[in-house]
Amino acid sequence: MKPPPFVYHAPSTIAEATALLHEAGEEGRVLAGGQSLIPLMNFRLARPGHLVDVTTVRALDYIRADDGQLRIGAAARQSAVERDQTAAARTPLLVEALHLVGHEPIRHRGTVVGSLAHADPSAEIPAVALAMGAELTAVGPRGERRIPASDFFTGPFSTALETGELLTEVSFPTWPPGTGHAFLEFARRHGDFAVAGAAALVHLEGEVVDRVAIALCGVAGTPVRATEAESRLLGERPTPAAIEAAAEAATSDLAPASDIHGSSAYRRQVARTYVRRALTLAVERARGGSR
Amino acid sequence: MMDRHRIALTVNGRPYEAEVESRRLLVDFLREDLGLKGAHIGCEHGVCGTCTVLMDGESIRSCITLAVQANGSSILTVEGLATDGRLHPLQEAFWDNQALQCGYCTPGMLLRAYELLREQPRPTAAQVREAIASNLCRCTGYQFIVEAVLDAATRLEAAAPSQGHEPAASRA
Amino acid sequence: MPVTQTVPTPERELKWVGKSIRRVEDPKFLTGRGGYVDDIVLPGMLHAAVLRSPHAHARIRRVDTEAARRLPGVVAVVTGAEAAELCNPMPDFGPAPDKHVWRCLAVDKVRHVGEGVAVVVAESRYLAEDARDLIEVDYEPLPAVVDPMAAMDPSAPLVHEALGSNVAYQRTFVFGDVERDFAEADLVVRDHLRWRRSGGQPLETVGAVADYDPATGMLTIHCNSLTFTHFLFMLAGTLKVPANRLDIRPTPAGGSFGSKFWAVKVAAIAGMLAKKLGRPVKLIEDRVDNLSNCDHHGSDRIYDLELAVMKDGTLRGIKFDVVDDYGAYIQFGTGTHGNSLAQCVGPYRIGSVQYAVRAVLTNKCQQGAHRGFGSEVTNWAIERMVDLAARELGMDPVEIRRRNFIRPDQFPYFIPSGNVYDSGNYEGVMNTALQLADYDHWRREQERLRREGRYIGIGVISCQERSVFSATEFWFWFDEPAAKVTSAPESVTLSVDPTGGITATLYSNAFWGNSSDTVVAQLVAEEFDVDPHSVNVVYSGSNRGLPATGPGGSRFTVMVAGAINGAATRIKEKARKVAGHVLEVDPEDLEWAGGGFRVKGAPERRLSLAEIALQTYLFKHSLPDEIETGLEASKVYDHPYTTMPSDDRTNLGVFYPFVGNACHVPVIEVDPETGAISYLRYVAVHDAGTMVNPRGLEGQIIGGTAHGIGTALFEEYVYDHDGQLLTTSYMDYLIPSAMEVPEVIVGHQETPSPFTVHGIKGGGEGGRMMTPAALSAAIDDALAPLGVRCTELPATPERIRRWIEEARARAGTR
Repeated sequence: MKPPPFVYHAPSTIAEATALLHEAGEEGRVLAGGQSLIPLMNFRLARPGHLVDVTTVRALDYIRADDGQLRIGAAARQSAVERDQTAAARTPLLVEALHLVGHEPIRHRGTVVGSLAHADPSAEIPAVALAMGAELTAVGPRGERRIPASDFFTGPFSTALETGELLTEVSFPTWPPGTGHAFLEFARRHGDFAVAGAAALVHLEGEVVDRVAIALCGVAGTPVRATEAESRLLGERPTPAAIEAAAEAATSDLAPASDIHGSSAYRRQVARTYVRRALTLAVERARGGSR
Repeated sequence: MMDRHRIALTVNGRPYEAEVESRRLLVDFLREDLGLKGAHIGCEHGVCGTCTVLMDGESIRSCITLAVQANGSSILTVEGLATDGRLHPLQEAFWDNQALQCGYCTPGMLLRAYELLREQPRPTAAQVREAIASNLCRCTGYQFIVEAVLDAATRLEAAAPSQGHEPAASRA
Repeated sequence: MPVTQTVPTPERELKWVGKSIRRVEDPKFLTGRGGYVDDIVLPGMLHAAVLRSPHAHARIRRVDTEAARRLPGVVAVVTGAEAAELCNPMPDFGPAPDKHVWRCLAVDKVRHVGEGVAVVVAESRYLAEDARDLIEVDYEPLPAVVDPMAAMDPSAPLVHEALGSNVAYQRTFVFGDVERDFAEADLVVRDHLRWRRSGGQPLETVGAVADYDPATGMLTIHCNSLTFTHFLFMLAGTLKVPANRLDIRPTPAGGSFGSKFWAVKVAAIAGMLAKKLGRPVKLIEDRVDNLSNCDHHGSDRIYDLELAVMKDGTLRGIKFDVVDDYGAYIQFGTGTHGNSLAQCVGPYRIGSVQYAVRAVLTNKCQQGAHRGFGSEVTNWAIERMVDLAARELGMDPVEIRRRNFIRPDQFPYFIPSGNVYDSGNYEGVMNTALQLADYDHWRREQERLRREGRYIGIGVISCQERSVFSATEFWFWFDEPAAKVTSAPESVTLSVDPTGGITATLYSNAFWGNSSDTVVAQLVAEEFDVDPHSVNVVYSGSNRGLPATGPGGSRFTVMVAGAINGAATRIKEKARKVAGHVLEVDPEDLEWAGGGFRVKGAPERRLSLAEIALQTYLFKHSLPDEIETGLEASKVYDHPYTTMPSDDRTNLGVFYPFVGNACHVPVIEVDPETGAISYLRYVAVHDAGTMVNPRGLEGQIIGGTAHGIGTALFEEYVYDHDGQLLTTSYMDYLIPSAMEVPEVIVGHQETPSPFTVHGIKGGGEGGRMMTPAALSAAIDDALAPLGVRCTELPATPERIRRWIEEARARAGTR
């Protein structure tokens, strides 16, 4: 299973990269970690004529915190973010989700931004981006623009990026101190894509939820933000009954696609279970419980 | 017209320069161009791990890595573990514990274990098991591999640092 | 009718047999020098890639290879039609091979997704695949037949028109007085079970490097499959070379689990191409090739079962009605049901068996061998029924088994089908397993945790693991078989060099990961009192080879032990004569001790094997006249205990006599919301007779258990209604990782066989033969409060969840 021929480019600057992408047009794809793209090419399901390597742009290999954001450059590897102390402190939800992305050898090569650009509906990082209200920076012929995660995922493996555009960064806003987080998923095997996964962030004001975000993966053509469920929990005490109602609200309207790893009904039911479990854990952590 | 690139990299401590087609997979470069047959091909889509090598000290799947992506890097394959004809303590431990049957997953497992023990010199059995979950084995059921890695951890701890069990590549 | 003699137990203590020495073959694997087939590079070697059908069933109207041929670097493109000129059909051991013709590449139509239709040969695999993309095939899709039950309908599309039916074989066997046993039973329990196909899926696929020398007419094929060497003349016939000009050279296999047992198609295609081009050709299956076109999918069965039981739990008779979906071809006939019939009463004193089998053809990859070769499915079916009987009688599953075990004093025990169980102590194995599992503790824990609303289950099963098949199981299906083959050999040549160094030559691809080199070294070491690591084990190509069946059916260790014993005996006979001559004593006054011969009563008068060897190689005139120069002997060891079936087939004879037994006790927890399973304990106790290398066997038991977990919970080749294979990658075909396999606590019991050298029995398949039954029992037990019963494998989390929902609906709860 060998890939078909293509032209490989190793730009050193963002400008070079975008120029190459522009020139390649529809035939151009960005190569980041390659952990999703190269298997597709080995199967010959993807046949881009040009690969523009974003990891050779050293300036894009960064993880930095400034003014309430964790900014991750397009060349930063998943395992680097997973081990980063700042990320652990500021975006523990992202770090927890990263532990579930494939296996460590995959994370040594895969990039956080690359996972977002690939937009696999079963992937963990897009759900985290959606939950946290992340923002993506794209650079292309029209210049630079910011795309909120909520606008970014448009369908299975499809995003708001236009031909010739390159994602250069994702920034995750830090949630207030005391936020409880949880990313839990059900997969057939350790490291597999989620049958259904849930990201939860809960902040309490006293006994009551004053900020909450819930996002799911594996349940639709894109990651899903459970806004209905969130609004049910806002201003309420997160009792088991309230959490159960939120889980029901988060999943009752879902119509996941069926495949051999899970029928639609099963995925929906597993999603509900995992929203409940993720919320429960996030609430426990918000209350100062398990880390 | 083939798209070709010059690459320069170090493999098991030796520098190499080559011209490769852009689509050439790293596993094929190692096996066919350099004659290093230890990295194996099992699935060619990044799941089984029999192609595992270390790139700049980190385990990667060479079947879904292009040779051009290895430009400028330092690669360690299983052939680089033994020094001066002496097996690495991991290899000895695998041998003593019968941690292999058909041997096909073994080079990948050894390198993954090598990485683990460097990061975590005293892992628990559970940590070893989770670490090697990245590499499939169809023969052993994993148990003797876990035992071998724990055994190797003990041997490495006991060995005096001056004995230098660091393979050539990591000294480069 | 050859009946084996019982083999006397050696009086002295064994020195090497029974020792867990580290393996002699490991250094090359540890250092990346394994020498697997893909490691072979020959000068001028070309690379091939097979174009596979995207349709489950379609006529091939036209194959246009023009653009492919013109691509630079492409040397040849061969279509199925062209291959049919170059090659005859594949060797086929199934019924009516003239009516369901199997070729290495499809000619007039394709019969399953993945079937090869053309092959490209180029300077590199990359270029071969580029050219492959350019081949245009004009298919006329035909309706696919996918459901085996629908396939039996006379109006169903035919997989092979010439056969006139999709039922390739059907027959009902009756052994013992089934009618009486069922009439007298207090209770008959019935069930409908489904076992879906999975497969060996070793990490190394099948591969071949073929090299043809037009000057000598010699076709040499390096391949990781070399079994049944005495049948290779059929492959030569396929390749249109004289049988004495075909040489298959074995390479170590990176696993097999049955799927490299007579896996000859890749070798045939490579051989055909090498012969056509006069240059070496390498063909290695990629993973998609192997998943879709390996010719070795496992059993795919639908059972209707009845078990006749008495009130007190005595099992009287069992009826199997099984439909087996063989896919598009049936290369081994219904041999997998022979495996079932070898142990069709399990470890129990069941007196009668009715076995109705229908082999059905569909548009899927054909079945081949998968660790257990069909007997693991029967194990599962029997244990499911015994557990059902226990449940309906309100009996403890351990108790019902105790009541029905064949007793230690009843061996050798002939089962209704005619096969024999040579020895055993089934209750002993179960007792050890229950003790290692801390069974009583976990029953108490189960009670306690149930009160907390948790679903804990304990499975207890006892199943057989037959070993060493006879040739008869491939033909006793027919009253008038085409060929009543009775040979099933394994061979070895032992050669002692003038320094006393020993080389053991093997003649099949014995190494699948099963420690063949080590086992041989230990057995040779035992014979000659040498260090096993000093023994050189080499593998011969078939052309100068003795007949050898190879591994499969867990036969290798038993058979090679017989061959080694035979060859060693011949060497010692010769050495004795030489020693007697040199020492000037009657050879009968010598005894073998300490690695040489010495005079009885005067032990200082001795010659070592090395001294004897040197004599034999150099000093012909100092030897007895009849002694030839050199010290080497071969033994072709045939199956030691085979008897013929009766004409009416109410008795199939002895065909799988060395039968081990095992008990697995998993303790699991089921998450009722997701159907996921986690392990609290897993115990496996096996009795495969005398162990040669206990650690080696233990490794295979644990590996087999992991493999069985895959079968029970994760693995399936999934086809949709149109015959599209949905599991075309390792993201869909799920092999368990280290996180899906628990620590397995292994216990051993050794009840030697009276019929084999050292009392060895085969044990390599055992783990997988037990685990599906054990986990099914544990799932039932965990979900007993809900009345769930596991009747289908794999028991995926979604299936388990559905069973829970159905049970709750039946109970009227939610």
